[in-house]
Amino acid sequence: MPCEMQQRRWEHRYCNMWKSLVAAVALLAVSGSAHAASAVNKDAETRTLVVTEGGSKTELALAGGETVEFCQNGCFVTLPNGDLEALTGSETVEISGGVARIK
Amino acid sequence: MLLRLLRLILVFTLVISASPSFEAMAQALGQGSIGLVTDQQKVIQGLTAKTDDLEKKIQQDAEDDASLVDIRLQLEDLSRAALTSALAFRSRLTDINNRIEVLGPPPAAGQPQEPDIVTGERQALASEKAEINSVVASAQNLSIRISGLVDKIGNMRSALFRNLLTKRYVLSDALSPQVFSDAQEEYANFYKAVSSWLSFAFKFKFQAILAATFVALGLALVLLVGGRRLFGRVFEADPANEDPSYLSRLSVAFWSTMLPTLAVGVFLASTVFFFNYYNVLRGDIGVFLNALATAIGVIFCVNRLTNAALEPQLPNWRLIPVETGAARWLVRLSTAMAVVISVNTFLSVVNDKMGSPLSLTIARSFVATIVVGIILILMAMLRPFRARDGSWRPWPAWLRYLALALGLFTIIAALLGYIGLALFVSLQVVVTGTALITAYIGFLSARAIGEEGAFANTTVGRWLSTHSSYEDTALDQLGLVVSVAINLLIVLVFLPLILLMWGFQPGDIQAWAYKLATGINIGSVTISVTGILSGIVVFIIGYFLTRWFQGWLDGSVMARGKVDTGVRNSIRLAVGYAGVALAGLVGISAAGIDLSSLALVAGALSLGIGFGLQNVVSNFVSGLILLAERPFKVGDWIVAGDVSGTVKKISVRATEIETFQRQSVILPNSNLINNAVGNWTHRNKLGRVEIKVGVAYGSDVKQVHAMLLEIARSHAMVLKNPEPFVLFSNFGAAALEFEIRVFLADIMNGSVVQNDIRFAVLETFNDQHIEIPSTPRAVVEVNKPKAWPTDDDKIEADFAEQEQAKVEAAAEAKRLAKSGRKARKPDPS
Repeated sequence: MPCEMQQRRWEHRYCNMWKSLVAAVALLAVSGSAHAASAVNKDAETRTLVVTEGGSKTELALAGGETVEFCQNGCFVTLPNGDLEALTGSETVEISGGVARIK
Repeated sequence: MLLRLLRLILVFTLVISASPSFEAMAQALGQGSIGLVTDQQKVIQGLTAKTDDLEKKIQQDAEDDASLVDIRLQLEDLSRAALTSALAFRSRLTDINNRIEVLGPPPAAGQPQEPDIVTGERQALASEKAEINSVVASAQNLSIRISGLVDKIGNMRSALFRNLLTKRYVLSDALSPQVFSDAQEEYANFYKAVSSWLSFAFKFKFQAILAATFVALGLALVLLVGGRRLFGRVFEADPANEDPSYLSRLSVAFWSTMLPTLAVGVFLASTVFFFNYYNVLRGDIGVFLNALATAIGVIFCVNRLTNAALEPQLPNWRLIPVETGAARWLVRLSTAMAVVISVNTFLSVVNDKMGSPLSLTIARSFVATIVVGIILILMAMLRPFRARDGSWRPWPAWLRYLALALGLFTIIAALLGYIGLALFVSLQVVVTGTALITAYIGFLSARAIGEEGAFANTTVGRWLSTHSSYEDTALDQLGLVVSVAINLLIVLVFLPLILLMWGFQPGDIQAWAYKLATGINIGSVTISVTGILSGIVVFIIGYFLTRWFQGWLDGSVMARGKVDTGVRNSIRLAVGYAGVALAGLVGISAAGIDLSSLALVAGALSLGIGFGLQNVVSNFVSGLILLAERPFKVGDWIVAGDVSGTVKKISVRATEIETFQRQSVILPNSNLINNAVGNWTHRNKLGRVEIKVGVAYGSDVKQVHAMLLEIARSHAMVLKNPEPFVLFSNFGAAALEFEIRVFLADIMNGSVVQNDIRFAVLETFNDQHIEIPSTPRAVVEVNKPKAWPTDDDKIEADFAEQEQAKVEAAAEAKRLAKSGRKARKPDPS
């Protein structure tokens, strides 16, 4: 129910409180989210991906159980088994048992 | 039919996929994949060839900023294409990996040999994978190379700009008498080119020229006349109006700049377009014509704008309150500045195309910048205001010094030989200044519309108030919205315009817009405008859908189904909350916000809720319980603690109760859940009322009992079952006390019934001479004042007496004043 529709003053004030609460939650959520590909390492050991993004190659070391976001606008990534794959920036790379799968 | 076809296809694919021959399948896949590899190899080769071309072009066009931007955009497209072509392998790679996994690792040394067919397939798959990897690697290398080129372009462009601003020319060479002969030669060349074109055009294309000009003129006229029709009154300043409002002055200034400029722009653009269309233009003439059109457009726009803002003819309509003479001078000076700059730009195009010597360019730019500098200084020296005492006052200090500084800077830079810098500054002064002033006028009008009550006085506001049911406050809010929208529009229109003027290329702005739409990264945060907007739109749609569904459920389904109002209310509210929550969730996910990150926030908030929002949450949950359990519903008469009244509204946090004195009491829901609540009308409205009656000792109590019972029974609203009952309740101190207890079908009528019964009791007791004893606590003797005899004669006599006394007093004062003696105050001693 929008605040303007509330007839009574107290409801109005109350509604505004809700609104600011919702806004705060939304802000927090926005700051917590990012549009990027993410890599999850489900193994216990550290796995390494080589990411080529924006003209530079970087090694992305993933500790066991770590999740990392990378590759905002498309990139190439070398998986642990040596395969080279292109990512658009919305995929999830899941590493388990030393094998990476793109979802 | 379609379904059957689908089913057929499904069965077919199933049969194919279930085919037992793995080899055949692998072969089929392999063949497809070989095609894929060669295809993508070709694609990437093509992209590489294009990149090679563009790299060469970068070297060629190293001096041309616009072309560099264009190359950059093309390169970015190529990079995206390379990525897409590499993406094409993904499904095939997944297939190969899966297959290799199924085949398992090659047997170790000690283990039995595997069939040849398996070994062969493994090798085939491995080699195919290697091929794919090599193609993807070439795509990767291409993208690395492209981003290197993009970086290089960025560096080149900034160097180019630096060079433009810091390059110093030797003026003594440029300003030698040689220049005049060069200029003469160039003029002759130009004249020749134009005249030869003109003679060609008149000989062979005369009709086309006529047609093109007329069509362009027609278009411009349609725009102008249509605009005048549409905006009629607001378009032109009315000389008869003595004191036009600020808003109308602003709108006149805005529209009288906008419409004619637009019309002239359309005329020029369509002329060039149709000339092109009819192939009238030849060689460099098209470029000249373009430049000429731009120059004319700029001059016209500046002239219109200054005229509109300063109105040299109509002092009442002036936006800036300068004096008439100063206004006239300002219009002339700014037009002159625009003419100088535009002519210079036009000539630079001509110079460029005719390949004239550098000295000529330098000399021309030198003259232009010096003139602009002088005009700026003249403007700064102008004294446009007049003080109260008639003396002339200069501009505000900051404006005066800014203009002076800009003018001096231009002149000094030109004199020192920094022609590029001087030209850049003077161009910016004219064009950016014009854009800024227009934007500022727009901002002012937005502010004026946003003021209280201003929107209702505009044409649109008046039309709305007569043609719709909007109230004043709604109109006011609408005005606010309009003013915000205007502000936004101005930013959207003028920001790119000013950026363009500042040497950014359209490609830059396009790239920014693209980035803004898809998301900008600030640290690890990505903000995407389209995402947020689509989220908001989805939420709004969801919200209105919920409203509509709520209304439909309540109004058509439940009302027709004769559902109890309380249940209706509960269901309506619950549906509303659920719908809004759902719309919110969908909106958030449409905005691209990961809901799992919300979980984190919720976790963090739960601590805060536990402490800070304890009451709010408890009330909220209580509200939900009230809706589900329904101990009372809207319209019930409840008693909660000291509060007794009708329930008006049950909302999330609190319940509104209206007492019988019409006082609204807001009770937090948790109070209603945690404490006892009496409800008079929970299951039914049946209720009992009691009326106490006392009769004097010595009365016939049997008779009294019978009489009371009779009275109770005879009342129409009293229920027969349960029967009314008269209780002989007490031997009181002064009276024998009875109590009439009657049941009513609707307890809400309690007071009416009590009244009726009391009147009836008193009447019957009076008839039967039965005394109701009372113990007087205070004896009040009522002493009414005697009425004053209305004696007109006496009042008249009194009035005449007072008048007489006044006249005498006045005469006495006069006499004292005449005799020269001051009326002294009484002696204090």
